[in-house]
Amino acid sequence: MARIEIKNLSFSYPTSDGRFALKDVSLTIEEGQYVTLCGRSGSGKSTLLNQLKTVLTPNGNKEGGVYLDGVLLEDVDLRTQSSTIGYVMQNPDSQIVTDKVWHELAFGLENLGYDQRTIRTRVAEMASYFGIQTWFHRDVNELSGGQKQLLNLAAIMAMQPSVLILDEPTSQLDPIAASDFLNTVKKINLELGTTIIITEHRLEDIFHASDMVVVMEKGKVIACDEPKKVGAYLKEQNSDMFAAMPTPVKVYYGVADKAKRDLGEVPLTVREGRSWLTSIFEGKKAEINTLPINPYKENETDMPAISLKDVWFRYERDLPDILKGTTFNVEKGSIFAFVGGNGTGKSTTLKTICNMLKPYRGTVMIDGRKISSYKKGELFDHNLAMLPQDPKSLFVKQTVREDLEEMLGPKESKRLEMLEEKNGFENVPLDERIAEVAKLCDIEYLLLSHPYDISGGEQQRVALAKVLLTNPKILLLDEPTKGIDNFFKLQFAAILKKLKASGVTILMVSHDVEFCAKYADTVGMFFDGGMITANVPSKFFAENSFYTTSANRMSRHIFKDAITDEDLIQLCLANFKLMRKKIHEQEQ
Amino acid sequence: MQKEEFTTYHPITNIIFFLGAIILGMFLMHPVYVVISMVMSLAYLFTIKGKKAFKELAYMGILFVLMSVINPIFNRMGVTVLFRYLGRPFTLEALIYGIALGGMLVSILCWFACYNAVMTSDKFIYIFGKMIPSVSLILSMILRLIPNFIKKTKQISQARQCIGMAGNASENKMEKLRNGATVLSTMTSWALEGGIITADSMRARGYGSGKKTNFAIYYFEKRNIILICVMGLLLAGTIFTAVMGGAHAAFIPNIEMTWFGDINMFGGAIAYAFFLFLPTFLNLKEKIKWRVLRSRI
Repeated sequence: MARIEIKNLSFSYPTSDGRFALKDVSLTIEEGQYVTLCGRSGSGKSTLLNQLKTVLTPNGNKEGGVYLDGVLLEDVDLRTQSSTIGYVMQNPDSQIVTDKVWHELAFGLENLGYDQRTIRTRVAEMASYFGIQTWFHRDVNELSGGQKQLLNLAAIMAMQPSVLILDEPTSQLDPIAASDFLNTVKKINLELGTTIIITEHRLEDIFHASDMVVVMEKGKVIACDEPKKVGAYLKEQNSDMFAAMPTPVKVYYGVADKAKRDLGEVPLTVREGRSWLTSIFEGKKAEINTLPINPYKENETDMPAISLKDVWFRYERDLPDILKGTTFNVEKGSIFAFVGGNGTGKSTTLKTICNMLKPYRGTVMIDGRKISSYKKGELFDHNLAMLPQDPKSLFVKQTVREDLEEMLGPKESKRLEMLEEKNGFENVPLDERIAEVAKLCDIEYLLLSHPYDISGGEQQRVALAKVLLTNPKILLLDEPTKGIDNFFKLQFAAILKKLKASGVTILMVSHDVEFCAKYADTVGMFFDGGMITANVPSKFFAENSFYTTSANRMSRHIFKDAITDEDLIQLCLANFKLMRKKIHEQEQ
Repeated sequence: MQKEEFTTYHPITNIIFFLGAIILGMFLMHPVYVVISMVMSLAYLFTIKGKKAFKELAYMGILFVLMSVINPIFNRMGVTVLFRYLGRPFTLEALIYGIALGGMLVSILCWFACYNAVMTSDKFIYIFGKMIPSVSLILSMILRLIPNFIKKTKQISQARQCIGMAGNASENKMEKLRNGATVLSTMTSWALEGGIITADSMRARGYGSGKKTNFAIYYFEKRNIILICVMGLLLAGTIFTAVMGGAHAAFIPNIEMTWFGDINMFGGAIAYAFFLFLPTFLNLKEKIKWRVLRSRI
């Protein structure tokens, strides 16, 4: 019998004027299955997941029903529901209730009224299984994001649920913590037979592992099948969900689209992708193995936008150095990205450039001027601006529009008047400036919404719009793609390109290797408090073997510097063409 | 912090000791008792904090001197006049009273410093939860939220500075205030949003689905019973002798107190000293034990 059965479920929010958030969804999930739910933000994924636990179901009009082991979910009592269905949410911080790790692990069991002995055993069991024992007595505030999310998972697993629901659990984590987390989820599925229902933006890590992939669009299930078939279906439909597929799948269909020949089975992982590439070039040499690229020119501009020279920083005299002689230049009008693990000093560097932290040795130059020569506030006066990691820290008003207007307050008007007098030209009225920036960031339809009611990707764009109203010449971005799905990433990248074209210098810190590979002009590697190397993306990633894109990992045995899926497709096709030409010549 | 033996005992054992030490310390003003309390609390502080205790000692030293000197300046009572200043008498009795007060204050502060190191928040919550179960969860949640809020407030104000919305050179007091208010209101909506998620997370884990139990990671083993019995005996001894007049001390106008000849005073002081010495004793015992164990290898 099916573990969970969703029958003709429709749902609409009371305020939505009859627009359905879920429309006629039917799904059957068997015991022990690993089900991946994907779709764009706002496609109804989270709404569907919330229907699987009555305490989380929002008010609204609901038709159809959800059955747990054949019983309608509303008829299952709260206690049974709490223990059999575990739910891990997106935000690692807010779902933690208590202040100590051990207490958090015990919290669910306390609620279910277990006695001391049982709780003690279960907590001990979970702490050992998840490797928590070393930080068992710690305060939760001391934990990293990855540890917090692992704690949330462990706290839920302590209640021994048979169904585990995860709503974008890794969107706030860095890639290494994220793949650790997803591996643990996979381990739970394999070792304990727990049924998993998960939504994720990063399909790369879970697509191949799923038994079933459900694709949603506008509240409807448009595909529901095993991973390989879903890939084929999405390609066939030319759905924009295809952009979220793992790199090997994208490359496969990208090549298959143009090359008219049998390519074998679709690869899902890097390993499968490698052998697939080997097989299609079997016996033939890939003669074209590199793409024409612009070579990296170091220090060629005389006045870089940002320049750090031998910067040393530590928080206190007795604490270890965070920055150890950091030196690099960011060329004007370029996109510079730096990647690197947690705690290597990336955020500290950004704060140094913002003058939030003062290095005890070395110099920071902004626009050719020493940072210490800028007066308080002058640095951010139409010069430098930073988009913080969490866009919410910028939202202070009731609507997006008001939030944008805040940037153009009385002080701004005064400044504009002064400029007008000085330069004698007419300024753009404030309304038009807002309209302009809203258009650039594609947030016109959001202007009247509350900034907390919109999705993560939209919040990111609104925050960017707000930052852009300062007319920055230099834009700093801290993890701009964190928690954003692939479509929003594309949109975001398009905005960055436009900004770059208008002469803005962009410096970003990111864990998102694929994003940096595609859109940055220069990529630098941060390690142990310094910039180790910096180069154009294709050179940079081609030199690395771990810290690189999946396209590169997949193809490095054949091509020299294919780093994005597009590069790879292009190279494959070019080689095919060459081969055909040769065969043709031989025939003649 | 150095390895501390008393911390490993059950929170109930811990709290009995600290309640005893602090309450007795406040009532027993007899100089001998004050000296005992001071010596023992300092000894314990040293075994807990090691060299770091010196830093705190400096402040306490200043406080002690201030208390001793200020009391006789304002308190003119007492028969033995040492000297006069501005026509006012500076008496020996008031000075000694001041010294005793200062000593008492320092020893209480020392005990609180030890309390802070030993009674961590989870122990406190455990004790509290024993009395009022529902409050203990709230306390635990508050203790989690406060550092969280501080972090977020910092994050918001930094984010605003980085877009030039705060911390400008031309900013006046009014603007600064307005900026602070904006940060605070943002904080509030952020906290409320987080609160909704936390509430969901609690309900999803069965909060409110029926009777709740309280889990604690502390074991109440035999050594706790033994220690509590010993503490009980010593406490009873101290209190009994004090009631019998063993700790009687009057400073003003005449100094008048029991001295070592009195059996109640003598016995009480010994019981008091032993009681306060217990945690330090446990630490020393453990240290010696490990040294012996190591030397046998």
